[in-house]
Amino acid sequence: MSDSKGTVPLMINGKRTDGREVEDLRNLRIEVGIIPEADGSAYVEWGGNKIVCGVYGPRECIPRHDASPYHSIVKCRYMMSPFASLEEHSRSGPSRRSTELSKVIREVFENVVIAEKFPNTQIDIYIDVLQADGGTRTASITAATVALANAGIPMKDMVASVAVGKAGDTLVLDLNKAEDNFGQSDMPMAMSQKDKKLLLLQMDGLLTKEEVIEMVGMAERGCEKVNAIQTSALKRFYEKGEDETVKW
Amino acid sequence: MDRKIVLPGEKIADGRINAPNTFSDGTATYAAVIGMMDEENRYVPLENRYKPVVGDVVVGMVTDVRHAGYEVDLNLPEGGFIPTRDIRLTLQLGDFVICKIKSVNEVGDVDLGEVRRLPKGKIIEFPSAKVPRLIGRKSSMLNLLKDYSGGEIMVGNNGYVWMSERCDMPLLLKTIKVIERKAHKSGLTDEIANMLKQEKGERPQTVQGEEYV
Amino acid sequence: MVMIMGDEVKDVIMAQIRRDVLNNTLSKGVRFDGRKFDEYRPIEVQRGPIKTAEGSAVAKIGQTMVLVAAKFDIVKPFPDRPTQGVMVSNAELLPTASPTFESGPPDEYSIEVARVVDRALRSAECVDLNSFFVETDKVLGLYLDIYVLNHAGNYTDTATLAATAALLDTKIPKVENGAIIRGEYAKPLNPTKLPLTTTMVKVGNNWLVDPSRDEERVLETTLTIGTTEEHVCAMQKGKGAITKDELVEAMEIAFKRGDDIRKILKG
Repeated sequence: MSDSKGTVPLMINGKRTDGREVEDLRNLRIEVGIIPEADGSAYVEWGGNKIVCGVYGPRECIPRHDASPYHSIVKCRYMMSPFASLEEHSRSGPSRRSTELSKVIREVFENVVIAEKFPNTQIDIYIDVLQADGGTRTASITAATVALANAGIPMKDMVASVAVGKAGDTLVLDLNKAEDNFGQSDMPMAMSQKDKKLLLLQMDGLLTKEEVIEMVGMAERGCEKVNAIQTSALKRFYEKGEDETVKW
Repeated sequence: MDRKIVLPGEKIADGRINAPNTFSDGTATYAAVIGMMDEENRYVPLENRYKPVVGDVVVGMVTDVRHAGYEVDLNLPEGGFIPTRDIRLTLQLGDFVICKIKSVNEVGDVDLGEVRRLPKGKIIEFPSAKVPRLIGRKSSMLNLLKDYSGGEIMVGNNGYVWMSERCDMPLLLKTIKVIERKAHKSGLTDEIANMLKQEKGERPQTVQGEEYV
Repeated sequence: MVMIMGDEVKDVIMAQIRRDVLNNTLSKGVRFDGRKFDEYRPIEVQRGPIKTAEGSAVAKIGQTMVLVAAKFDIVKPFPDRPTQGVMVSNAELLPTASPTFESGPPDEYSIEVARVVDRALRSAECVDLNSFFVETDKVLGLYLDIYVLNHAGNYTDTATLAATAALLDTKIPKVENGAIIRGEYAKPLNPTKLPLTTTMVKVGNNWLVDPSRDEERVLETTLTIGTTEEHVCAMQKGKGAITKDELVEAMEIAFKRGDDIRKILKG
C-alpha cells in the first residue's frame, strides 16, 4: 500500500531488509508430487510462503451447463488459510481478494493449457496458501505450473512468475512482506518461458513508463531463475524414480 | 543410463511430427507433457491423460445398467458405452470387463465392442503413458509378473490393470509401484527380474491360464 | 487456435460468426462503428445525480453507462493504520444492464472491476486518507459504490471515469461529537490527481482502444492501464498473452487517451 510509504526504511546501505541485493530471489524450494491422490501436485516454499497446489482432471464438468464441446474448462481456486498471516485469524472461505486472484491465475493457464483435446471436461487447479509472506500469487502460479506438468496435462509452455516492485525508491525483485505492505509499488508478473510473453500483469502504486519497462526486464531475468528451479524439481522427481518424504 | 527429461514447451524435433502429446508451430515440434527422449531420440511421454483411440484394448468396470446398454468406467472423464444389441452376455453392476474401443466421436464419447467379462479380481490404476513399460518388449515384463504372482493380469491401454484373485497381490502391487516410478530407466525388465528373484527365488513355471468368459 | 472460456461459452456460435466478420473488417483497419483504433466513443460525464450521497457521477462512454456514488460513514480504522481513514469500493454488475449479467452475490467480474478501480484511485493517492481521522478508534469511511447501468462494452474505463468524477463532486461531511451531520458539509474532497484507466484489446499486432461489447466478446487479449498525468497507477491484464513491446506501446496509448479524457473531466 503506497499510502504508508516512507514510514518503514526498506533500503539500508543498498541492501534490502532481509539482506538481499535488488535482484536476488528469496530461497525457493519446489517439491513435485506431494499429494499422491491428486493427478498432479506441487509444494512451493518461497521465502516464508508455503503453498500446496493440486491438479485434477480433465474430468467431467460440473455443473454440466458450464461444459464446452470445443475444449476443456480451466477452473482455479486460490485460497488463503485463516492462519496464513501473522495478524489475526481471518475468516475462512473465499474473500474478494482470493476471488480476483483465482480469476487472474485461471487466465494465466488458459493461455498455455491445450484445452481443445478434452471437450466437455474441466481441469481443476486448487491452490492453498498455508503460510503467506508476500508474493503468494506469483508463488501459486509457479506451483500450479509444476503441478500441471506433474498431472500430464498438455501445455504449450512452462510458466514462471515473480513480482517486481519499488521499495525505498529502488526497483527490487521478489518483494517480501514488508516491501509488499510498505513499498511504493508492486507489479506481479508471470511469463511463458519459450516465447517470453506476459501472462500475468498487475500493478499498483505510482510508476513512470520507464520504470515499468525496466521492471518487465527484471521480471524476465527473475522468471528465468524461477524456471530453472521448476525444471530441476521436475527432473529430480522424474529421474530419481524413488519416493521421498517431503520435509515441510 | 538415465534418459533426458523434456518439459512441456521444449523442442523435441525439427519440422512437423504427428505424435500424441506434442504440438507444432510449423517449423518445429514441441513436447506438450513431461516426457523423455529414448535411445533412438524419440519422445516418450511420462505423464499423460488417456485419450481413447479406436482399436485400443481397455479394462473397465460396469457402473450402470441401462435399457440400451452398459456404462463402463474407463478412467476417462466420461464412461464408455456397451450397446446391448452388440453383446450376448448379460453383465451386472460391478463386473470387470476387457473390451476394444469401437468408436470415439469428436466430443469423446466412447463405444465399446468385443467384450469379455473378467472373473473376480482387483483393478488398479496405472499411468496410461507408462503402460508400454508394464507390458514390456514382446510382453516380457507382463509375463514375468504373471509367472511370479501366479495369476492372470490384464493391462488396458487406459491404464486400468486387472489382476485375478489368484495373484500374489502384495508382491504385485509393490512391483508395479516400482515399475511406475522407474518407467524412464533402461534395463527395467532385468532390474525387476532381479528384484523378484530376490523376493521369491527362481522364476516359477508359467501357470495355466484362467478361464474367463 | 480459437479459445473461448467461461461465460462466453453461452454465445459461442454467435461469437464465432462475429469473430470471422470482425477479424476480416479489423484486418482492413476498419472498426464496425467507424472509429479509429485508438479512438474512444463519445464521452459524457454528469456530476451529482444522487442527492442522498455525498458525491456522485454518471459517466457514459458510448452506450455504456456507470453510476458511482460516494458515501461517508464513521468506521473503525484498520489496526495497523489507526489514524487513517478507510476507502472501500464495491461494484454491482446489475442484471438490468446486460443479458449476460445475473443477479446474486458479486461474481469474479464485479469483484475484479471494483478492485481495479480501487487500485487506480488508491495508487494515485487522489484521496488524502489521513484527513479522515476523527478521534481515537473513529475515522471517516468512504464507500464508493459502482453501479454498471448499461453494459455496451468497456465498463472498466467507464467505472474509473465515473469514480474520479464522483470524487470531484464529493464533499466531506461535517462531523461533530464523533458523528456525521447529514446534509452539512465541511469542505469539498478536492482529489489531487485524476486517475483514469484505458482498456485495450489486441487485434493482430495492434491495440484497439475502448472495445465495444462485440469487440470484447471476440478479442481475447485485454489490458487495462491506469494513468495519472505523469504516472502509471494500475495495470491489469485480462485474458491472453502480451509481449514487452506491446506493453510499451499500450502505455503510450494509455497516457495519450488518458490526457484527452482528463480534459473532458476538468472542462
